[in-house]
Amino acid sequence: MAQMWITMGPQHPMTHGLWTLRVKVDGETVVDTDAELGYIHRGVEKIAEARDFTQITPYCDRLCYVSAMTWANSYIYAAEDLLEVEVPERAEYIRLIAAECQRLASHLMWLGAYGPDIGSLTLMTWCMRDREMFLDLLQELGGSRMHYNYPRVGGVKRDMPVGFADRLVAKVKLFEHRIDEYEMMLDESTIWLVRLQGVGYAKAEEMVNAGVSGPNIRAAGVNYDVRWAHPYSVYDQVDWEPAVEKPTSVKGADCYDRYRVRMEEMRQSCRMMLDAIEKIPGGKNTNYANGDEMILAKAPTRAPEGATGFSHYECTRGASQFYIQGGGDGRGKNPYRLSIRSPMFITIPFVAKTMIGYKVADIPAIMGSFDPCIGETDR
Amino acid sequence: MGMRITNAQADAAAEHAVESVNARFGGSDVVATVEHHANALKMAFVRIVAPPQHWTAVAKHLKFDLGTNYCSMVTGTHHPEGGAERGWEVVYHLMRQPVANQAPHTNTVHVAEELQGMDVPLEVEVVLTLPQGQTPSVPSVQSLWVGADWNEKETWDLVGIQFEGHENMHRVLNPHDSPEGFHPLQKQHKIRYHDFNEMYDDAQGFGRKPTDEGRVK
Repeated sequence: MAQMWITMGPQHPMTHGLWTLRVKVDGETVVDTDAELGYIHRGVEKIAEARDFTQITPYCDRLCYVSAMTWANSYIYAAEDLLEVEVPERAEYIRLIAAECQRLASHLMWLGAYGPDIGSLTLMTWCMRDREMFLDLLQELGGSRMHYNYPRVGGVKRDMPVGFADRLVAKVKLFEHRIDEYEMMLDESTIWLVRLQGVGYAKAEEMVNAGVSGPNIRAAGVNYDVRWAHPYSVYDQVDWEPAVEKPTSVKGADCYDRYRVRMEEMRQSCRMMLDAIEKIPGGKNTNYANGDEMILAKAPTRAPEGATGFSHYECTRGASQFYIQGGGDGRGKNPYRLSIRSPMFITIPFVAKTMIGYKVADIPAIMGSFDPCIGETDR
Repeated sequence: MGMRITNAQADAAAEHAVESVNARFGGSDVVATVEHHANALKMAFVRIVAPPQHWTAVAKHLKFDLGTNYCSMVTGTHHPEGGAERGWEVVYHLMRQPVANQAPHTNTVHVAEELQGMDVPLEVEVVLTLPQGQTPSVPSVQSLWVGADWNEKETWDLVGIQFEGHENMHRVLNPHDSPEGFHPLQKQHKIRYHDFNEMYDDAQGFGRKPTDEGRVK
């Protein structure tokens, strides 16, 4: 049969954002692919050169609208490396809780979007319902539903409100049961299994070489996680272990493994938050005033030329990295260069090549299982 | 319970890598040092400063002898006022990750504190300094790390660094029909807020215009 190119995107239910996947098909089989990105490139790296270190945080929130807190944190750790700031421990705990809350919200958004890809619209409504719980918690911290501007260089904007701890514990404990519900619905659904199992294989070493990271690597059977391998924050003090799957084939992890690892990761986030809220220094029902030294350390505002800051952070979709060079405009008030490493920018071209050999109908299942987010991809 | 790579492990891994690089490239201008991050945990990493002509050899050493299997980030920087010898800078961030293919129905669960030798995660920063000029160029490492492919595409697209030997170079973030030679992260392109105090100079915002208006597409 004659081969032909089909363009999927930039507006297509499979894309989860604005990008184009060009697929060369032979009948129903994919024989070649090509990814085109850049539709929503905003030039955040350039804008940051004209902003001071506090003003950059809101832009980092908007790198990924599903996972704003982790991106803002990721930037803040690089800024703290650059400005040589040590953060109070209470602030680290609050950041950890906020980041894990965001991880739950982000994974729920992923699951909610992945369900309709596979043909289970119910899943979307369930996930949106549960995601609201965590968005409410994040709203209590940051003041808005999606873009919080919450971390500051040296700590956090404000302390947890009184009663936050109780609401967090209640919601997390409820949600632990909800994860069981999801699993009962999905793992026993023939459609779900048929669409996911044996599709989209990717080997661990290939993925590492291609720069893929995060849950997608752990699905292939190794518990490599930035949170312990390149440690930051207080992850060594709370109770958790990295989620890891046992792939069933020599060909590596399939879509089902990637779905399983994210479910397990949600459980670990719950476990981590429940433990962290009990161990938080200063007490879980105390509310320190804004700028108190328990939650915000003094930080310089200027960085000299030649200073560099780097952070390696386990974002919800993989390892995000920031690299900042000091000594920009305003006698070092702005960064001279800020560089952002987006995990999905590297993953999407890899996934596009992973699809070769599968059917056209498998494309949404494979693409969705890697959890693409175009906001961070295009920056 | 949570775990993490200890500072001692990271120090030992970084020192081993530095010794290895300095033993292999001693006498040339390749200099490796152990550095520490300045934030709370003070983890060690390796910084290698190399002239671009040695970059391919250094990269092969890092990949095949030191096991850095992950090219995570490529950053290009334009230094128009950096002097004759330092007009451009390319920084590669590489990682070593203890990840291997798994047999069916098995997995590897590392315990961070028990990792030793080449299994300890390592962070490497390679700084390549290029002289002033219109066509900054470094050798591509696309063939060593697939992950470098799109990173290098992005660095060429945004900063204008040429990567010798890179196959299939094309625009990735800018529009495909951007004018040749337009690389927005070069410093001659100003955005409208550079040197501009919006609170006092133009509180209403009527005068806001890009300073390079009309000169680039």
